[in-house]
Amino acid sequence: MSAERAPGLLAGDSLNLRLARRSLGLIALCLVLLPFADLAITTHDPWAELERMLSGLLHPDILATQSLPHAIALTIGFALWGTLLGVVLGFPLALLFPRSRLLRGSCAFVRAIHELFWALLLLQVFGLSAVTAIAALTIPYAGIFAKVYAEILELTPRAPVDALPEGVGRLSRFVYAELPMVWARLSSYTRYRFECAMRSSVLLGFVGLPTLGFHLESAFREGRYPEAGALLWVFYLMIASLHLWGHRRLLPWIALGSLFLLGPWPDIDGALLWRFVSVDLWPKPLLEGNWSGLWQWFGEIPDLLPAIGNTLLLGLMGTAGSLVVALLLWPMASHHFGNRPTRMAGKGVLILMRSTPELMLAFIFLLMLGPSMLPAWLALSLHNGALIAFLVARHADAIVPGSHALPASSRYTYELLPRLYGGLLALLFYRAETIIRETALLGMLGIATLGFHIDSSFAYLMFDQAFFLLLITAGLNIAVDALARRYRPREIADTPGERGHPGREATC
Amino acid sequence: MRWFVACLLILVSTAATADTFRFTAIPDEDQSRLEERFDKVADYLEDQLGVAVEYVPVKSYSAAVSAFRNDQVQLAWFGGLTGVQARRLVPGSRAIAQGKEDAEFRTYFIANHDSDVDTQGDDLPKNVQGKSFTFGAKTSTSGRLMPEYYIREQFGAPPKSLFSRVGFSGDHTRTIALVESGTYDIGAVNFKVWDAAVADGRVDTDKVDVIWKTPTYPDYQWTVRGDVDNRYGDGFTDKVRQALLDMHDPELLESFPRQGFIPADNDDYQPIEDVGEKLGLLR
Repeated sequence: MSAERAPGLLAGDSLNLRLARRSLGLIALCLVLLPFADLAITTHDPWAELERMLSGLLHPDILATQSLPHAIALTIGFALWGTLLGVVLGFPLALLFPRSRLLRGSCAFVRAIHELFWALLLLQVFGLSAVTAIAALTIPYAGIFAKVYAEILELTPRAPVDALPEGVGRLSRFVYAELPMVWARLSSYTRYRFECAMRSSVLLGFVGLPTLGFHLESAFREGRYPEAGALLWVFYLMIASLHLWGHRRLLPWIALGSLFLLGPWPDIDGALLWRFVSVDLWPKPLLEGNWSGLWQWFGEIPDLLPAIGNTLLLGLMGTAGSLVVALLLWPMASHHFGNRPTRMAGKGVLILMRSTPELMLAFIFLLMLGPSMLPAWLALSLHNGALIAFLVARHADAIVPGSHALPASSRYTYELLPRLYGGLLALLFYRAETIIRETALLGMLGIATLGFHIDSSFAYLMFDQAFFLLLITAGLNIAVDALARRYRPREIADTPGERGHPGREATC
Repeated sequence: MRWFVACLLILVSTAATADTFRFTAIPDEDQSRLEERFDKVADYLEDQLGVAVEYVPVKSYSAAVSAFRNDQVQLAWFGGLTGVQARRLVPGSRAIAQGKEDAEFRTYFIANHDSDVDTQGDDLPKNVQGKSFTFGAKTSTSGRLMPEYYIREQFGAPPKSLFSRVGFSGDHTRTIALVESGTYDIGAVNFKVWDAAVADGRVDTDKVDVIWKTPTYPDYQWTVRGDVDNRYGDGFTDKVRQALLDMHDPELLESFPRQGFIPADNDDYQPIEDVGEKLGLLR
């Protein structure tokens, strides 16, 4: 560290100073732009609503939902088949991934569009069917698997391959010498993705597919909080018990069994599908080669720039908010602080918050606070902050403190945080891509981000406009990802762990 | 492995199920009320038509249209605008019946008492300007299309520049709830849903009340796909229409809520199509 000249406040070239500058810059930018955000609370008595919700959560009514087992089975079935087909498609793509720029671009594109947007798009050709649900998960997941599997394969130790005699075929080499070395990582990541798929599958109910989210949305919207509470508990139990029923031997049977429930399968109308892909999705002037008409078409898109601005602003606010929440919450779950009961409670709270998808949290806050950016901001910050805090707490637990005599505040400030901060910030920057993806999506709830207009375009059956807005969303997402990668602290050595990579656990 | 294959075979054999006649309805009210309503209607139609009939619940207006387009439902209880959308997407499909009230439908503008908007006059009160306002669903006829049309006609300005905040509640029940709770000052709501809510005591008229009633326009209708005669036998469309017109059980009708059904055809909805195009919601 540069000790020769006395550095000014935050000046200097040490790693932590650079990190501090970046974080403060992020928060300062957020504060400067905050006045442009619509943060009004429009409900008259949010506390009464919150009280009713909490009372529903505490007095759940499990019998209120008709066909609850069916909804649970469909949620699992969609998630399982979506993940499975994603692996089937993604694995071969992973092998080609390092070699093809086109493939990398396409994968980045399909990843950049949220599962729910895929569902809205597929809904138009496959209707409310299992095909829509499964494909909505499979398509983005194939892109994700291709990228992550490729990263994992890249790290395959060379020794076993070098030890093979000459003339061993490419396939044998791969199956016997390379694959076994990375198998554990591949399968552990796949398992993590399945958990993500469970959450996405629940969310598919928000656009009308008959999963748990379908009933959850209705129950919350109509204020039937005991039913909503019961459904939330069912959801948490499903996620928490994943390691019990998500066993390797059991999953094929669950997959097979769920097939019985996924029907009726739609008759796919080839002509309709072709018309949708070749005509409906494209601006008419473009297909006719009418350039001035295209300009006019472009002008008819309502509020494009404000929507992009709002999406970016909310994304920035969500990222800064997550940083603050993560900094505040991680000690709750770390063994350096508190006692056993407080840690259990802290861990519980963090797990609940990180398991609840942003869309669901935002929806609940929206009912409480009314339609503005505030509920979305809270949801993004709490969910992502809790997720990061949970991982940071785990990293913290691997640290052996030098002195036990320090009071908690000093331990936090002087001993632990300096060693954890780089990792925390790296996680945050990994998370930025997901945050902006979610931000666009939250528009579907009526917040003025891109999702609002995408939802409207689908409602008005203007698929060309919807598709164009989806392209903008994807572009925005890819740009933010590139920016985040540029500023992500690189000097931080990846914390060794089961999954080998800190960012990978922050991707859904 | 043997068991696996056996199960797979059973699965394939059960996949070919009988041709069920399915219908849906735009989700204009609370889901629970809709399911109660339409499961009974499904039973009634099954009796009358002699085929298995199933109600398919949907979450959004556009999902109802999409299910109709993809032949996942063959019959739908659409609003004026969604019906036009659906019939444009599925050539040959027809409006066959509407509620007795649907030939002369209305939108009620409702306001929270604390918002100090003048009560009923011949026009929408001038001092709605600057208040917050919510529509229903984005493609609702009575909750979006017609109220927006009358707002523009009266004020010569789009709702966005007239009100301090414009929202889309999603359905009529929610519009009433949001205006009653004061989240929005003003809302536009389907008059049948409002009347039924008042009659059932589900709304507190000390907190929210009607401030203006629009002129009349055509709204809800049953629309059927053009290919049902081929699939379910000649004259099936007429049988469906007759079954709907013969629906006299007050319990069934009350849940719509309509006094009964009368014949309708595509041309009845030309005014809706014109307004939809004018507002840029159809093209």
